[in-house]
Amino acid sequence: MALINGGHLVGKYLKEVEKVDIVFGISGGHIEAMLDGFTQYNIRTIDVRHEQAAAMMAHAWSVYAGKPGVCFLTAGPGFANGLTGIANAYLDNAPLVVLCGRHPLRDDLKGALQEIKQMDIVKPITKWAATCFDIKRIPEYLSIAFRYAAEGRPGPVFLELPPDILSITVEESQVPMPVCTTRKYRMHPDDKDIKAAVELINNAKKPLFLGGSGVGLSHSSESLKKFIEKTGIPFMLMNYGRGELPDNHPNSVMEMGNLGLMFGVGQADVLIAAGLRFNWTFQSGQLIPPSVKLVRIDIDPHELDRNCAADVGLAGDIASVLGELTAHVRNNDHSQWAETLKAAGRSVLDYELRMRKTSSDPIHPIRLVAQIQKFVGDDAIYVADGGDTSYFGLAFSTSQKAGVIATAAGLFGCLGTGIPFGMAAKLARPDKKVVVLNGDGSFGFNAMEFDTMVRHNIPVVCVINNDCAWGMIKHSQELSIGCDRLQCAELGTRHYEKVAEALGGHGEFVTKDEEIIPALTRAFASGKPACINVMTDQTITSPATPLFYQSLKME
Amino acid sequence: MRFTMLLFALYEILKRASKRNVAYRNYIGSIHRVKIMIKTADGKRGRLFIFDQGKVMTQSGANHPYDAAIVWADAKTGFKVMASQSDAEQFKAAATGKMKLDGMAFFAQWFNDGVKLVM
Repeated sequence: MALINGGHLVGKYLKEVEKVDIVFGISGGHIEAMLDGFTQYNIRTIDVRHEQAAAMMAHAWSVYAGKPGVCFLTAGPGFANGLTGIANAYLDNAPLVVLCGRHPLRDDLKGALQEIKQMDIVKPITKWAATCFDIKRIPEYLSIAFRYAAEGRPGPVFLELPPDILSITVEESQVPMPVCTTRKYRMHPDDKDIKAAVELINNAKKPLFLGGSGVGLSHSSESLKKFIEKTGIPFMLMNYGRGELPDNHPNSVMEMGNLGLMFGVGQADVLIAAGLRFNWTFQSGQLIPPSVKLVRIDIDPHELDRNCAADVGLAGDIASVLGELTAHVRNNDHSQWAETLKAAGRSVLDYELRMRKTSSDPIHPIRLVAQIQKFVGDDAIYVADGGDTSYFGLAFSTSQKAGVIATAAGLFGCLGTGIPFGMAAKLARPDKKVVVLNGDGSFGFNAMEFDTMVRHNIPVVCVINNDCAWGMIKHSQELSIGCDRLQCAELGTRHYEKVAEALGGHGEFVTKDEEIIPALTRAFASGKPACINVMTDQTITSPATPLFYQSLKME
Repeated sequence: MRFTMLLFALYEILKRASKRNVAYRNYIGSIHRVKIMIKTADGKRGRLFIFDQGKVMTQSGANHPYDAAIVWADAKTGFKVMASQSDAEQFKAAATGKMKLDGMAFFAQWFNDGVKLVM
């Protein structure tokens, strides 16, 4: 007779059924048996300094490793601290599995330590949430959780595990492990819709393909490549779709940038939008004039006409829908149109392209980006986190899947996500260089994670675009309420690199253009987590700021 | 000459719209001190449009500081494309390098979108 406790059952299920070998969180008394389960089943734990970072890392793990990420939270404050990361994953459709402790069922309504109605709080920001009350059903509940996280449109799930079931034992043979039930279901669009889309695509003179996170979440590199190369359609990839085909692919028009896209999208005759929500960054669809025929592909049918009605809507997994389209579309060549788009983009971005090449004092943020790119190259993972910093960071180019992500530019606009994403990227792809471009404001949210990076040997290089302010807020206030009435917008000059040094990392302070590359050289050579604090031009406003300002103008 | 006159006429139209056209007045809102320059690449012709708390003001000439600029290769192209009020013509000018944006390009787009509300 072999006994096993509930915490060990969690570890056993994660390891043996889901093949999970890394989880993210912070320890706590309510989940002690589960922590021991991780030890028992040889699951690596990355213990962070604030639970929001754990949820963000697990979310990021799902992006970089391509499978659900798992985070563990203890009851009460641990749970509450994780909420920001869970909410961010919810709006990003990330398959995040949250395992959370709670006060004992035995002590319900007695004023137990950390007694709070967690389920009522977390339900609106999860795809599925449940409490398990029976030790024998732990594997079953975990199986349901993973299925909900990954199937259909992905999203975060929450499983509450009371100590009453984690810390008691059961005869192991009475709790068989379920087989891995996460299957790939295929949704098939209506044949007549496929036919209509094919007709639009075949007759298009100036088509454009825009791919969003759905392209990345469906791992569609291969089918996307076949579709793009057969149709010859120019493409741009965004969010978690970035890098599914490299930025330097012959059909890529990534160099247009977001501004070039805003300027040029209305000139396309057919737009194919795949796994891309037309949210506020697309001015809720108003960016696309009625003259443009619109083919939308999304795993969630509700997205197909949201904010902008599709001429043809194809509900299904991006990779499989693209596969079906490729079988029916004609070979074509739109290289001339692609060159026209790129040329128009260069005219719109003329100023930025000049700034990239020009040494500046004070340093222009786009020049900082160009110098980092020059040193680090395309075969790397870039994460940008901030307001204006996100805009500039999106100018990195990459050959890596999810190789450029502006983590704070998602629907939740969640500053502070950069460092957790950078750490998860380095853990998922240890052979790649990882650079986080942080604003000085956003750096503050998870700066203590330099301690995590040092303890777990995660050598991410974090470059701070330091304009001594909440730049996007400051410049937006300048537009809305005037330069003389700025409120809570400025931060001052701070030596953030010394924070990294104090925690055991490598620090650099840069004020001049010619110091950027030597500082990067030393930072990477150190082999340590590094912080390069770069003082940049405080007057520079990114084009994203007026967009942000306009989006909140109420009359 | 026609380009210069067009820019002045545009100022008059925008100034009037800022007072009488509700949609345009709401569009420019109470934005503080945004300066848009429209000029030729040689800097010989140009006009600055200043938007400040609902008012539209102007200064002639191309040598003023600005937040964003629409820079035409020459006055003839500038006149032709602007007078056409066509997005396609503007896109074509950009694609052939005859129209470039300088500074905070988004504001140039913002300016153009505002003009569309009035025309």
